[in-house]
Amino acid sequence: MAVLRWGEVRRHAADPGLALTFLGAVGILVLFVLYPAFRVLLYPSLRDYLALPQSLRWMQAARNSLAMMLLSTLSATFVGLLFAFAITRPDVPGRRFFRSIAMLPLFAPPFMVAFAYILMFGRLGLITHTLLGMTANIFGWHGLWMVQTVAFFPLAMLIITGVLEAANPSLEHAARNLGADEWSVLRTITLALARPGIAGAMLVVAISVLADFGNAVVIAGGFPLLATEAWFRMEGMGDLRGAALVVAMLLVPTVALFLLERYWVSRRVYTTVTGRGSRIERPPTPPLLKWVVVALCALVSVLILLVYFGVVAGAFTSVWGRDWSLTLSHWRLAQDRIWTLWSSVKIGAIAGVMTGVVGVVVAFLTSRNLPLRNFLDFLAVLPGALPGVFVGVGFVLAFNTTPLGGTLWILATALAFWHLPMGYQAAAARLKQIERSIEEAAVNLGASGLRVLWDVYVPLLFRALVEAFAVSFIRAVTNVSIVIFLISPGQVVATFVILNMIQNNIWGAAGALTTMLLLLTFISIGLTWLLVGRVVRTSAVAG
Amino acid sequence: MADRPAHIRLRHVTKRFGDALAVDDVSLDVAEGSFTTLLGPSGCGKTTTLRMVAGFHRPDAGDIFLRDVRVTDIPPHRRNTAMVFQEYALFPHMTVAENVGYGLRMRRVPGPEARRRVAQALELVGLSGQERKFPHQLSGGQQQRVALARALIVEPEVLLLDEPLSNLDAKLRVRVRTEIRQLQQRLGKTTLYVTHDQEEALAISDQIAVMHNGRILQVGSPAEIYFHPANRFVADFVGLANFIEGEVVDAHHVHVNGLVVTVARPIARAGRVTLVVRPEMVRLLPAAAVEQPALRGRIAATAFLGSLTRYWVTADGNEWVVDVPAPGHETLHGEVALLLPSERIHVLTE
Repeated sequence: MAVLRWGEVRRHAADPGLALTFLGAVGILVLFVLYPAFRVLLYPSLRDYLALPQSLRWMQAARNSLAMMLLSTLSATFVGLLFAFAITRPDVPGRRFFRSIAMLPLFAPPFMVAFAYILMFGRLGLITHTLLGMTANIFGWHGLWMVQTVAFFPLAMLIITGVLEAANPSLEHAARNLGADEWSVLRTITLALARPGIAGAMLVVAISVLADFGNAVVIAGGFPLLATEAWFRMEGMGDLRGAALVVAMLLVPTVALFLLERYWVSRRVYTTVTGRGSRIERPPTPPLLKWVVVALCALVSVLILLVYFGVVAGAFTSVWGRDWSLTLSHWRLAQDRIWTLWSSVKIGAIAGVMTGVVGVVVAFLTSRNLPLRNFLDFLAVLPGALPGVFVGVGFVLAFNTTPLGGTLWILATALAFWHLPMGYQAAAARLKQIERSIEEAAVNLGASGLRVLWDVYVPLLFRALVEAFAVSFIRAVTNVSIVIFLISPGQVVATFVILNMIQNNIWGAAGALTTMLLLLTFISIGLTWLLVGRVVRTSAVAG
Repeated sequence: MADRPAHIRLRHVTKRFGDALAVDDVSLDVAEGSFTTLLGPSGCGKTTTLRMVAGFHRPDAGDIFLRDVRVTDIPPHRRNTAMVFQEYALFPHMTVAENVGYGLRMRRVPGPEARRRVAQALELVGLSGQERKFPHQLSGGQQQRVALARALIVEPEVLLLDEPLSNLDAKLRVRVRTEIRQLQQRLGKTTLYVTHDQEEALAISDQIAVMHNGRILQVGSPAEIYFHPANRFVADFVGLANFIEGEVVDAHHVHVNGLVVTVARPIARAGRVTLVVRPEMVRLLPAAAVEQPALRGRIAATAFLGSLTRYWVTADGNEWVVDVPAPGHETLHGEVALLLPSERIHVLTE
């Protein structure tokens, strides 16, 4: 693998610009992806690692994290399957509505579902307290379970929908033709075909659940989890070694799941054997099943709408749970903190540009026939396997004592490189679609090497660049898992302020600021849509 | 053939998709044990007709019978009309044996018998030993045979094939269609076949129904369709045709540009008619070699095709296509004479 072929080396030596760019890209990725990761893993001593099994609290956190992973993954995948089924059957009423509704959690800041459910189902919850008069306690594993199910099922839905849509309706017709009744078709064909997709969805959801910091820190209460434990270690006790240990523990299952997803499941998806043939409608869905699915999807849709309704309503309600009169006073309080929103926007913009540029350049490099391009590809997708808290601790250890420390640049860099896989993979996929013959045509007509890049690739990759920017920007502005480790008194961001407000029960102002974040998110999505004609997906792996 | 009872009967079958009329008042009899082909361009309603026989679409009007049983309201899985799909629709998550055995599993055929019949069906299509492979490990031709075995194993009342050869390359297509025909004759299975390929239809069928815009234009044997097309569309769609305008003289003679052409079948009408002359019916000779009165013209283009040479000849302001079979190394140039044999010329009556 690492054997360099002389012919290639000589050929690339003739193109020093490309060679230097390549070395520069490798250097930057090693510095901002590999180095912080190694800092985390090597920070605790071997003795610290060996002592892990003796630490009751951490083993408890590990067990809890794994238990939540199993629970939330199963429920989120199940709900995702229901939605995917509903929206891929043409005879299910409301399928377009369900598809749109189910996308909403993907655009919510990573703590928002938990925040909204405290407002809805908490001790003073609109539904539990005011409407039902119950004494409810949503803090703990059960609240987190519900929150994570709603927050992460759209990921499962998207993956399973892709697989169900890829299944040729002819297969179902063929089964009917060979004597299968509606339920047999469902069991032996539709669901059987979706199995690899369901497995892939479970892995992606599991990674998101394990790494989920925002919801856990808001609603888990005293329930120790790996993702939140790292922050408690550092905030409460300044225990960097402990924080590093915990996130290192968290890294093991997420990387394992990531590799499993990337190198096993994603290659096992049954693509339909043949290409052409008329696209025909799917056979009818069994009526009983259809109405059960519709009822369940409607129920979940209500839960999703409550997320948005709760937060916005909270921003305009005098005293949640006690005085339901409308007020604008929370917005005045929020206005005092609006400067943190500008910090967020600045950081997001820098991170967006970095993700976009680095993503496109690296994608261009890995599409060339260069030695070590697989290594570069690995570095560019690796951050997708790293939980946000891991990256946060990594940047603290690696760069807090450098000139970067305490500036907004450390935040922007950490976020940019954490989001790199999304920008990189979008650009790489786009590059793959561009036929080599287009480049050859340009060369054939007399374009030089650099002109090819400028005339052919830059315009064609513009869309990928804009999308990478938008996704990175939105995720940076709403991020909590990384910024919480890297903010300094001079560099406070909006999400950190909101988190503090929620924890201090200042719900109105928290709702107002979150509403502004939402506006920012949807304006960004709208602008991107205007530019590239497509709604971007902001969530691949949650943090 | 006419004395055999109809196995599949369509009576005034009509199907709409939204505003589009896909199948318009189609009636058709398919005789027991016969191989009938629905032939037509894409969008003519042939596949929709086939899918209505399978039960995937319900006709908006009209009825479908299998023997004397009205099946219009019977769902597809109770019809026993096994179908081979255009893209095969092999289940990608099942092995060859599981694919072929699927129909038996749905009919709750016990294991040992099912295994015996799967082995038998695979032997029938020459795929013994491939039981444990998955569809994607097979070639296109092999996938096609699995689809055929999967349909035949359930001992269907009638066999339906929807453009089963369109995903194969040209050579394989000819071989597999011969195999399908031989298998069908050996099993005596009533078969309804859909294709847009006129050559395929001619080669394989007992009976052809030519469809256009949702209607059946003509039903007949391949030779009937080819030599005596009912109208200009059929003549044009099946094979190549030269259309010549003429004036009827009497029942056996037509006046064409100063020449009198003799036809074998009596003409039942007067006035202007259109003659259909197939390219291979015309004899082409160097102009100097013909002394009798004949159509004379000039060669505009030539294509050597191996077993024949095709000429485009301009004569009397018309462009003629003429095929000269077994041309060898001979090629004609310049001025030529076209001789029209009387027994083959067909007069369109529509």
